[in-house]
Amino acid sequence: MTSKTMGNRVAVIGAGMTRFNRRAKESSGELTSMAVEMALEDAGLTIDDIDCVCLGTAPDAFDGIHMNGENLIAGAGARNKPYMRHYVGGGTGIMSPIHGWMHVASGKFKNCLVVTEEKMSPCVPHPAGAFITIFDHTTEQPLGLTLIHIFSIEMCRFMHTYGYTEEEIARVSVLCKKNALDHPAAQIAEEISVEDVMNSPVLSWPVKRLDISPTSDGACAIVLSNEHFAHSLKKAPVFIEGVGFRLDTAYWCTRDLAYPTYVATAAADAYRMAGITKPAEQIDIFEPYDPFDYKALHHMNALLQDKSGRKIKDLLLSGAFERDGSHPMCPSGGALGVGNPIAATGLMKIAELYFQLSGQAGKRQVKKDAHRGIAQAWGDLMQVGTVVVMSSDGAMPTFQSNWSNKKADDLPGTPLKDVKDVPHIADSPDLRYSWDNGLALTTYLDGFKEGKIRGSHCRNCGRMMIPARAFCEVCNLKDVVDYYDLPDTGTVMTYTLSYVDWDSSKLPDGKMRIFAVIEIDGAGEDMGLIHWIDEVDPKKIKIGMRVKAVWKPESERVGNVLDCKYFRPLKDGEKADDKPVRIKPVELHTETVKAFPGRIPLSYLYTAGIAGSKFYDELAKGKLTATHCASCDSVFLPATAFCEKCMVVLDPEKDARSVDPKSGMVIGCTVVHEDRSGHTLDKPRVVAQVAYPGTVGTVLGMLDIDDADEAEIGMMVELTRAKATGAEHVVFKPAQ
Amino acid sequence: MNIAIMGVGFCGSFPASGGLSYRELIARAAAMAYADAGIEAEQLDGAVSVEEDFVSGYSIADEYVPDQLGVQRKSVYTICGDFLHGVCSAAMQINTGQFKLLVVEAYSKASNILTKDELLHFSYDPIWNRLGVTPNYLAGIEMQQFMECSGYGPQDVAEVVVKNKTCGVGNAFAPYGNNINAQDVLLARQVAAPVTEQMIARPADGAVVVVLGATDVALETARNPVFLSGTGWCSGNSVIERRDHAVSEGTIIASQMAYKEAGVKSPAEDIDAFYVSDLFAHRQLMHLDALGFAGDSLARVNPDGGSLAVGDLFEANGGARLVDAVNMLRGEAGSRQIEGARRVVVQGWRGLPTDSCAVVVLDSERRTS
Ligand SMILES: [Zn+2]
Ligand SMILES: [Zn+2]
Repeated sequence: MTSKTMGNRVAVIGAGMTRFNRRAKESSGELTSMAVEMALEDAGLTIDDIDCVCLGTAPDAFDGIHMNGENLIAGAGARNKPYMRHYVGGGTGIMSPIHGWMHVASGKFKNCLVVTEEKMSPCVPHPAGAFITIFDHTTEQPLGLTLIHIFSIEMCRFMHTYGYTEEEIARVSVLCKKNALDHPAAQIAEEISVEDVMNSPVLSWPVKRLDISPTSDGACAIVLSNEHFAHSLKKAPVFIEGVGFRLDTAYWCTRDLAYPTYVATAAADAYRMAGITKPAEQIDIFEPYDPFDYKALHHMNALLQDKSGRKIKDLLLSGAFERDGSHPMCPSGGALGVGNPIAATGLMKIAELYFQLSGQAGKRQVKKDAHRGIAQAWGDLMQVGTVVVMSSDGAMPTFQSNWSNKKADDLPGTPLKDVKDVPHIADSPDLRYSWDNGLALTTYLDGFKEGKIRGSHCRNCGRMMIPARAFCEVCNLKDVVDYYDLPDTGTVMTYTLSYVDWDSSKLPDGKMRIFAVIEIDGAGEDMGLIHWIDEVDPKKIKIGMRVKAVWKPESERVGNVLDCKYFRPLKDGEKADDKPVRIKPVELHTETVKAFPGRIPLSYLYTAGIAGSKFYDELAKGKLTATHCASCDSVFLPATAFCEKCMVVLDPEKDARSVDPKSGMVIGCTVVHEDRSGHTLDKPRVVAQVAYPGTVGTVLGMLDIDDADEAEIGMMVELTRAKATGAEHVVFKPAQ
Repeated sequence: MNIAIMGVGFCGSFPASGGLSYRELIARAAAMAYADAGIEAEQLDGAVSVEEDFVSGYSIADEYVPDQLGVQRKSVYTICGDFLHGVCSAAMQINTGQFKLLVVEAYSKASNILTKDELLHFSYDPIWNRLGVTPNYLAGIEMQQFMECSGYGPQDVAEVVVKNKTCGVGNAFAPYGNNINAQDVLLARQVAAPVTEQMIARPADGAVVVVLGATDVALETARNPVFLSGTGWCSGNSVIERRDHAVSEGTIIASQMAYKEAGVKSPAEDIDAFYVSDLFAHRQLMHLDALGFAGDSLARVNPDGGSLAVGDLFEANGGARLVDAVNMLRGEAGSRQIEGARRVVVQGWRGLPTDSCAVVVLDSERRTS
């Protein structure tokens, strides 16, 4: 990265967001459109004024739509505009304004609409289950990991290194949930005490229920523009002064988990651009990412570039993080209080800086004169830091905007108790894989089969690496040719005592499982792997404990990380194994190469959304409903909760137009010979696209016809009564 | 625009690649690209990867990007789109003035996905468009409506397959190049009429890595840089009930953007070669129409054989075309070389169920406009 300060300045000129709900009635696209409509209104623009759109949403696994960004084009207001989706896991929400900044700062566009969305609730039984798919499919997923496990592991290491107690960390949760009481989008704002956090159920020690942000459905959007345009508006513009984003290695067990260097480096990038040399003094407001309470502190150390951690601990314990304190932190209420629809949370923090720095934050306005703030997000495998520094040109007077007094009821987004209370659709995609492990990983896994832990050694940097690698990621991809059997003993670097399984369900019979990061003897410093610990009194486990692998009997070993049953404490006087022994790497053989057919074990329950509910309710009565947009005077088929041309929210009930279900004409049809899995159908079926007079759009469905070859363009058809909700139940038959 | 393509690497295309993990596959392409660009990984400011969850079998697939590119702890993010979307994004990033040297990467391990149709079905809207039948149904509707409106017939679509597969015979990177005739294509097994099995590109494995740099850096270090003169991208409409399936609106708007930036006034005359997405054969014709190609000489279209010959590399598709285009502009395309090729257009399409497209204009010499 070069040290030049920013050329084209980019301003935030408007923001919009839905309420954050555990379950929203709206579909992903509908939530998105609502945030977009508000952001445009706040900026005083219409969608026609917008040059381009960029969208952030973290994984596809929550919304339950592969290529989710493609599905969200209409809702994001991106129809027929330059549009791109970006992501960096949990860091996405702050990557979004950075990507938007690139669009404008490059000089390619005058403005950019930045949209973020996450609808986590479709993933059932619990959205947290989706997180199993972020882990390495071969070396980690078999252990049944979910995100809470690695958070707990990191928190344990953080507490160990910086000497925090659980009570001290709980203060962050208390602060955020309290601050969120004043945020109109808040999902779990409440007045709680440190004792409440301590008394909440332990999920995976040291993490308790109230240490964690919830899973949420929500969307947030902002408008960015170049400086010239920003100055022409009445409101005080807030500028993006510096940006930074850094992604560390995917081998997270080889990383210092107590201090996030990648966040510190990202912040340093942003500071260089913004001309900041003393962040603790030059930044007025902090919005670090706080999916767990300790994370806010973990990130603040990095944002202040303070590896000692002393400054942040002092600020926390002295109350400086309060809204009237010297270093207000998460004045929005953060992920812990407002909620955590991942990508939308990060952008909500950017919106908060925009409100605060332009004096629009109302009851949340911090006491000090604030003209510079920082927002940060984090994600992936404890791996990515994204940072934005924003400032107003001078301290802003407080002024009343339409954002200053908003209450929950003023924000869109309909909370649902149960998805089954509204029309809904279930789907479980059959997603199966068979991984090519290649040379290095095959050697590593074959080691498990032989009861060995195998590494490879880089002659350039001298690291002994596990899992074994074929090239060195820190030495310009230099080939690594030396493979070793390592001792199967090591040292516990950090651990968690977990009561929850990968899908967030409780382990049966109050059982507990211990996950630990174990630094293997003979491997380089910090070269760890994650596995289970057993044969130990949970009270006695501690960081630094020496452990040894317990292997399955040879006949049961297949070349899988589960060939090692777990690690157990080394007994007194028991000696560790010998030094590493160089071995011949394994020739590729298909047995291990294809040993891990993987299946993504996720199921979904989708709400039909505002428009789908109306459409399918009517179709169940044999009626066809469309939606009228007064702004462009168009009648849309199928029904819709927003106009993708005007980007205004519509009401499929009030704006309904009934259409004669018998007046359809086929404008497109295809005879299909395969089912959704690609298997040949016994009898070909017909998909028809059908147009109706006086409407924009069509209806897609199956055409029930005896002879598939008779289906043709121009054919008149009638829509039949739907037996259930969902596209498969939209069926036409030839008109009588 | 001041951006140059400094180096390219392509490890592929293979119907299967069991001997290489995805990491090893990408590292191989990266090493090629860095050597071509005359740089080491440590000189890079960051990377843009183009990847989608579930294609790689992961959620948040960007996690697994940095190591095999040698850019760990650098400025790395992931774009969902075709490879060319990644190029467009990296170009903007360099033009902010804050970055000098970036790498764009995409790969396919298609052979590892056992249930590809299920995965594609999963990309359709869950409320409106999951019909429970082959997700290629939309291609059937597209091809039918395209022929209805454009005047092309099934024979024309079949000729695209014949031409591309035949071109592929001369391309060592193309495992699916062969000699085939139009009847073979038309009488092949129907998937979603009028689309037959032979009109659909077959999945393949491969990795593409491209190094982009600010022009001043490129002129200093790169062996034979090629210049990026225009970029454009657009996605049409995601609501397939309200999309015009006879045209690629995404390509039309994307090409207008790119042409304007590059100063292309008359594409049919100004452009020496067109690389376009042919994941479905009718899409090649549709994309060419959208790009303003006059339709005279098919020899100037997808000289590498396109996806029909090289295979469907998912996000890396546009990258495979881009690599061939760079070789073409360097005069290093071997038997496929179009003499005197100086200006080339590459178009990429995201595949079903989208109309998301990106277009770039490349020049063999730096143009100052
Ligand atoms: Zn090394
Ligand atoms: Zn309208």
